[in-house]
Amino acid sequence: MSLDIREGELLAVVGENGAGKSSLMNVLYGLYQPDAGEVVLDGQPVRLKSPRDAIARGIGMVHQHFMLVPTLSVAENVVLGREPTRRGVFDVERACEEVAATCQRFGFQLEPRARVDTLTVGSQQKVEIVKALHRGAQVLILDEPTAVLTPQEADELARVMRGLVAQGRTVVLISHKLDEVLGVSSRVAVMRRGRLVTEVRAQDTTAAALSSLMVGDSHPAAAQVSTQAHAPGAVVLDAKDLKAVGDNGRPALRGVSLTVHAGEIVGIAGVDGNGQRELAEVLTGLRALESGEGTLLGGGLGRLTPAEARRRGVGHVPEDRLRRAVVKDMTVEENVALGRHAQPPFAKGPWVDFAGRRERANALLRDYDVRPPDPELPLRALSGGNQQKVVVARELDANPKLLVVVQPTRGLDIGAVAQVHARLREARARGAGVLMVSLDLEEVLALSDRVYVFFEGRVTGTFTRDAFDERELGRRMTGAEAAHG
Amino acid sequence: MGERARQALPSVLSVLLALVLCWIAIAMTRDVDTATRAYLQMFWGGVGNWPAFLDGGPVSALTRPLGEAAMKAALLTLTGLSVAVAFKVGLFNIGAQGQMILGALAAAVVGAQLNVPAVLHIPAALAAAALAGGTWSGIAAALRIRRGVHEVISTIMLNWVAVSLVDNWLVIGPLKAVAQGQQSSITGTAEILSSAQLPRLLGDLSRLNLGFPLALAAAVGVDLWLKRLRVGFETRAVGLGPEAARTAGVPVAWRTGQAMVLAGAMAGLAGAVLVLGTEGRYPGTLGAPYGFDGIAIALIGNNNPLGLTVAALVFGVLRAGGTRMQLLGVHKSFPELIQGLALLFVAGRLIWLAVLRRRTRPSVAPAAPVVEVPRA
Repeated sequence: MSLDIREGELLAVVGENGAGKSSLMNVLYGLYQPDAGEVVLDGQPVRLKSPRDAIARGIGMVHQHFMLVPTLSVAENVVLGREPTRRGVFDVERACEEVAATCQRFGFQLEPRARVDTLTVGSQQKVEIVKALHRGAQVLILDEPTAVLTPQEADELARVMRGLVAQGRTVVLISHKLDEVLGVSSRVAVMRRGRLVTEVRAQDTTAAALSSLMVGDSHPAAAQVSTQAHAPGAVVLDAKDLKAVGDNGRPALRGVSLTVHAGEIVGIAGVDGNGQRELAEVLTGLRALESGEGTLLGGGLGRLTPAEARRRGVGHVPEDRLRRAVVKDMTVEENVALGRHAQPPFAKGPWVDFAGRRERANALLRDYDVRPPDPELPLRALSGGNQQKVVVARELDANPKLLVVVQPTRGLDIGAVAQVHARLREARARGAGVLMVSLDLEEVLALSDRVYVFFEGRVTGTFTRDAFDERELGRRMTGAEAAHG
Repeated sequence: MGERARQALPSVLSVLLALVLCWIAIAMTRDVDTATRAYLQMFWGGVGNWPAFLDGGPVSALTRPLGEAAMKAALLTLTGLSVAVAFKVGLFNIGAQGQMILGALAAAVVGAQLNVPAVLHIPAALAAAALAGGTWSGIAAALRIRRGVHEVISTIMLNWVAVSLVDNWLVIGPLKAVAQGQQSSITGTAEILSSAQLPRLLGDLSRLNLGFPLALAAAVGVDLWLKRLRVGFETRAVGLGPEAARTAGVPVAWRTGQAMVLAGAMAGLAGAVLVLGTEGRYPGTLGAPYGFDGIAIALIGNNNPLGLTVAALVFGVLRAGGTRMQLLGVHKSFPELIQGLALLFVAGRLIWLAVLRRRTRPSVAPAAPVVEVPRA
């Protein structure tokens, strides 16, 4: 495939997972070598053998998974690998000054001395961008940059990108979010199955047109919003005044009360890092409760362990897929069994039931359209979207009474997002209570019957479906309630 | 099978390369003829002297070398298993040596002090050894789980504690054999009773004893445990993805502790096989550092119970035959040198894999993420 990137433009590359967007960008960044073909930069054919080559030639990349050292400061992360020194010793002061200068030049507001792990995801991303700019990047590649951002942060990022282009830099944006792409980019390249399908000027197209170009004819259009009536059943979760401490030792939940009924989807909206993750961890037995009480499927919350939560019928689609949801070096079928490996059809007494496991795995792979549908492959060989399908398939197959899902569609393509959403609605229709934490406000509004807004470990607002108000929700997400008393 | 062969290939190539390099080393310091004859001596000394046998020699020309090789292989298999089992939960057991010392001592004490028939005596001595080794590694496991002490540090230190405790005190002090009659200069603990001796499988033809099938059975048992049992599945999950295992409801600390204790038990059994099978008592010191050899064997065997058994058999043969190299004035430590070099090459296994991958590029799964750093 061929693709031209022009100087000073904001090019968006869109396509489904596995369409080859990331592979293409990894070639440009020197991580992969092309089997055939060449990269021409400023009229010169270049061989990019490593990211080092790419950086030297002014190409910078911000990965979907950030490559930052969490315990180092912003400045230290930015200069890492080309540290300023004084008499052979790392000069922290100069590093901070240099980084502050770069931030000012491009209009970023970052405190060079702040430790990266104390920053929000949006700020961490800015650190990544500053890092690339600091190394003299003329062409900046952003891989799925808005996947983890709040609407406000995404708007901020769009401003940053426009600013960079205005200063003559070139930005390549890889994304699934078509509305955003159209809002910010000047040109859009659509990829499908490793080929460039078309290039269009952003003002000449619509999200719907792009979407059908992306998926070809293989998928139905993005699923419609459920119009099913909200008819909640028995209470599956009733929590009062939950308090818990986060990983950094600071209070993460400061008195949260909420209920979830059977047959409803309850959304948790909020900016990242306001206690949503910790709530999900408390409910799945992964984090100890400091105080507060609650009933979860007929038991308390005080001494909940992951095993006990599963026994009671809690399903869990965790946020950090590769760390929490799957073991990437085990096979797909082993991952299908994970968590339920002690029950039939995955076990016979103390033994692993290989035949039963294979049969169930095959059925689920078919049912959830996992590609390739090979249960013996190591899980890491699947794309992110297909890995997530495996996780969702596994958790729903257990027929949970309460399903806790966190960021269920982060980084997935349209087809996979629609499928995951449909499955969540299916679980709701079957009578499961679904608690969904998502940083994607659109997703929360599309799926939820009720929404709790989190800010700094407290509930700052509750909304029901008939009274959704996006602006008001957004204000509560930034703690407006306190201002209004 | 294709997959298995592909995984074994780097190890096989590493061992062959080490053999070639050592041959060159001998050839350069002596001459080509000596190097070749030394290798033949080593080979026949390990797999049995077939030329002599076919020339009408006694059966023992075959059985003696094979028995020696098998006994060395049994010890290497058990210590290799010890290291590999700990690896399965992501722990690096450097302490097989210390665990083996404790196991050997326990076997020697039970073997000498308990007076029961062989059917009870041998299992009791073996169990005592496994328990002692497991206790020793259990200390490291407890420190790791409860206090977060890194197992590499704690197992190394426990090795020294074991040497000090056993070799430098118990064996020359409280447990020292009481000299009887003309035997006034024996070292080590009292001789074990005949009821505790592992029976020799070929009578006087070789020193091959029950220890060898015991080691093979242990390897098969560990393999079954890991692959077929639910708890083995959990154990592997803990090693490959501890957070995912915890999220899935696996008792991570418990499985980690189990694996580490089992690792110690394997090393303890190695000590028992040495004492009950060949030494007959806890000698003044344990002699060869089989516990450390276990690290090499486990890595060359890819941390796979059956793979490491094959590696143990190969090096058992080389070790047993190595002594015969001395007939030609070549030092008997060459087999250890070969083992060390092979380990070095296996450690560079990623390079092997990269070379192989380049050859077979079309079959590689597409677009596997090259670099992926999860955020903290």
